[in-house]
Order: sequence, then C-alpha cells, then structure tokens
Amino acid sequence: MTNHKGNFLDLLKAHDCQTQLDLPATASNGTSPPIQETEGTTVLAVRYKDGVLIGGDRRATAGNVVMYDRAEKLLQIDEHSVLAIAGSPAMAYEMARVLEHSFQYFRRSQLQELSIEGKLRTLSRLIRENLPMTLQGIGGVIPIYAIYDLQNDDKNGGKIFFYDALGAHFESADFATSGSGSVWIRGVLFYQNRWGDKPLADMDEQEATVTVLRLLDAAAEYDSATSGYNPKSNIYPTVKTITKDGIQDLSVDRLQEIYAESVETTYAR
Amino acid sequence: MLDEPYRWLEAVNNRRDYIEDQLRGGSPVVGLRYDDGLLLVTIGRGQRKIFEVHDRIALSAIGHSADIERLRMMATDTASVQGFQSSVDDVTLHRLTNFVLGPTIKQSFEAIFGSAYIIKMLLAELGARGEGDGFIALNYDGTVQSNQDREVIGGTHEAETAMQNYLSAADASESSLTTALQLALETWVVGWELGVQETDADSDEEANEGAELTMDKERLHGVLRDELQAGEIEGAVLETSRRSNNKFRLLTLAEIDAAIADWL
Repeated sequence: MTNHKGNFLDLLKAHDCQTQLDLPATASNGTSPPIQETEGTTVLAVRYKDGVLIGGDRRATAGNVVMYDRAEKLLQIDEHSVLAIAGSPAMAYEMARVLEHSFQYFRRSQLQELSIEGKLRTLSRLIRENLPMTLQGIGGVIPIYAIYDLQNDDKNGGKIFFYDALGAHFESADFATSGSGSVWIRGVLFYQNRWGDKPLADMDEQEATVTVLRLLDAAAEYDSATSGYNPKSNIYPTVKTITKDGIQDLSVDRLQEIYAESVETTYAR
Repeated sequence: MLDEPYRWLEAVNNRRDYIEDQLRGGSPVVGLRYDDGLLLVTIGRGQRKIFEVHDRIALSAIGHSADIERLRMMATDTASVQGFQSSVDDVTLHRLTNFVLGPTIKQSFEAIFGSAYIIKMLLAELGARGEGDGFIALNYDGTVQSNQDREVIGGTHEAETAMQNYLSAADASESSLTTALQLALETWVVGWELGVQETDADSDEEANEGAELTMDKERLHGVLRDELQAGEIEGAVLETSRRSNNKFRLLTLAEIDAAIADWL
C-alpha cells in the first residue's frame, strides 16, 4: 500500500480516478470559444466584527441567456471556510468538491487538520492546473476563499483570500470582490470602508449584511449577468457568515426583512 | 508437507493460537447506541485507537499498531475515493467491511507462509434518515458480526462474552451521552479484567461467573480509577444532531469528566 501523505489528488491518481479538472482542454484555434459557456457572476466578502460575511447573487448566464436563477455561488468547503465562485460553474463546483474531499482526506488520514497555508496551496494548485482552459477563454474560475482562523482569533480570525488566474493567492485586509459585476462595487467598498459611517471591520452582522445586499443590488443594476432580488419568484442573494462558531446561512426571512428595511428604500423625493 | 489437508488445518490453528496470544491484553473497545447517535469508547495509553473513516463511519481496533494503521488507511482510502467518485451517500459500512476489509483480512490469515493481520476491529455507522445505524465487528480471521445497538471487541473471546453479558442487562439507546459513557466504561472494566487473565478450557462458564462477580459497581469504579493512573479515556461519537455532513467527533475532556466525576 502506498502512503499518499494525505494528498487526495495523489490518492485519486493511484486509483485511476480523475477529477473533471483533469479533462484535457479542447483544441482551440485561438479565436472565440466554440460554445457559449455558463458563467457565474458577482460575489463579495467583507471582514466584519465577528469574522467574514460573504454574499453572492444567484444568476448563471451563458452569453446573454439566463441559464439559472437559483445558482448557489457560496460553497461551504469545511466547518470554517467558504469558496465564493465567479466564472465557470462546471469547473468551480468541481474545484469546490475536490477541495472539500482533499481537506477531509488529509484530516482523516493524517489525524490533524490541514493548515490554512496548506488549504490555500491546494486551491492554488487547482487554479494553476486549470490555466490551459482559462487561456482558451472557457472554464476559467477566479474564486474568493474566506476562512475563520481558530488558531489566531484573539481579535478577529476572519481571513479573506483572492486569487488570480495563475493561482497566486493574496490576502485582503478588509474585503474582496470577484465576477463580472465586481467592477461596479469594488470602488464603493473602498469608499465605504475609508469614509463611510464606520469601517467594515467595526460593523455588526446587520450592518454588514445591509452593505453587502446593497452592493449586490448595485452590481445587478449595471451588470446584466448579475441578478438582484427577484420579487416574482422570491429569490434573494445568498449571504453566509463565517465566525468562530462555524458557518451560518442568513435565512430568507431575515434577508426579506433587511431588504424591505434597508435596500428597497431610497431617498424621499 | 502443507499440501496435506490435515497439515494445513493444523497450521491455521497454530496461527489462530498465535494471534489470540498476541491480542490478549488488548484494551477493549465498547460501542453503544445512545439517544443522539453512536458512541465508541476505550482506554488507551498514548496511541490513538478511535478514528474517523468517513462522514458517517468510525473505526477502532485492537492489535498490532502497524496492522491497525494499514487497514485504517485502506478503509479511509477506499471510502474517500468512492465518496468522491460517485457520492458520499454511496459509502456504506457494509460495502467497506464485507467487500474490502473482510476479504483482505481473511486472505492474509489463511496465507500461512505470509504474515497475518493481528487485529480485531469495531466499526460504527450512522445510517441516513435514522435508519441503518449499527456496529460491525471484524475478527482477525475476516469474519463479520453486526449489531444495531451494541458491539464490543476485547483481548479474548471470554472478555467479549462477559462484556456482552454486562451490556445485555442495560439499554443505553434512550440514554444521554453521559449515562451511555458511564455504561461503556463499566463494560470496559469488565472486559479488561478478563482480558488480562489467563483462561482455561471451559472458559465461557468462567466468563459468566466473572460477569456476576463484576456486577458490583463500586468495585468496577475502583478498578477504573486505578487504570486511569496510567491510561486515558478515549471516546468518539457519530452524532445525529451534528450540524455538518461529517458526523464524527472526538469526545471533549469536559464530556469525559462529567461521566467519571462521581467515581474519582
């Protein structure tokens, strides 16, 4: 029996089992992609008082077609981390699945939790291996990875990392955004954090949620591939908190309440 | 000479004696169902003995630590690959024990020129939707024994019988974790005492006698106190109410202390 040192990808190889990320990139003539690819859109994470609050819209598009209006873009990887995906869902879901199984396999085989650095590198490797696809203009994924660091949480263990297409990871002090709608909101977050009523890090869950929902609404206003709140089918963006106690989804009731109170309102004219 | 059937049987029997000798003195493991899932308990001396295999499967064993490690990795690898390839719902204890571990153990047990696994395993699985919970014990010859509510492994057959007898008088399936943990620890003492004793031929009778003798709880708690000088209680649960797909967790010190506080 081989010892895989807790590396799940090596274990899969030893069992002749492929992930979908291993599938070869198709031959390309270097022009436009051969099919209209489904893409996911706006996600953002902010460091607030108790950890990280992370939000995402629900729309998946292929070209100008809305493929799906209930896409889940915030994927729980383990008890204290979430991958927020933007880009190709096919690759992103598989990456999330590989990550989840990798971390579990490491813990189960090595009898200790994989370190945060180890988790970040695993994700880096997956993004790096996906580069040939990304270069073809299909299958690219640029995620945000948010985690609560239990070893280091005397003040606030919330940590946000974002990636580039080559797999480099960067830690962000206050917030991160990704997806086609993110260009509209990144500057707003900077403004809010620097000159707003209070910095993001001092916000409580309610305040951070209001900020995130408003920004998703703003992204939906300018980016056709991002959905805001859909009143016809009662679909809200998803919001999760990552704190010392684990991961919590904000319920639809709570989102509904916050929406009515603080997002749908505008200045009186 | 081994091509004669009688010689072969003799060799297998010798091997049986040899393995049983090696297993004697192993610290028993007790598996019990309680009101929020399944509990596995033992007392160890430094080496960890209870492991997470998959979302709903836990493993414990007595025997040679290298053998435990090899089979634990085999179980973990198989479950992990299968869970990834199709779905975590397709990883079941029955498939793991009857198609993977059982045949592997039996094969090396009967390959009399090779080395046999010196091991007894106790595995637990929390079924989906409240059905199919249960324990499976695997013997060193690859035989499989299953029970929904309780199962034990110990250093000797007599120790196991005595523990089963002790458990049959009680039912922990509706008990809290603390109560179930207390019952499991008492059962451990029953098995531990018999496991380290030399045994005679008509040992089943003796085991029953032993069980009656050990029904005195005060005395059991006293033995436990002594054993805790050198050993440490190790326990884990597959917890139905746990808010995660992954149902396994080790017991905390506080949970263990709550169970034994009155006995110390």
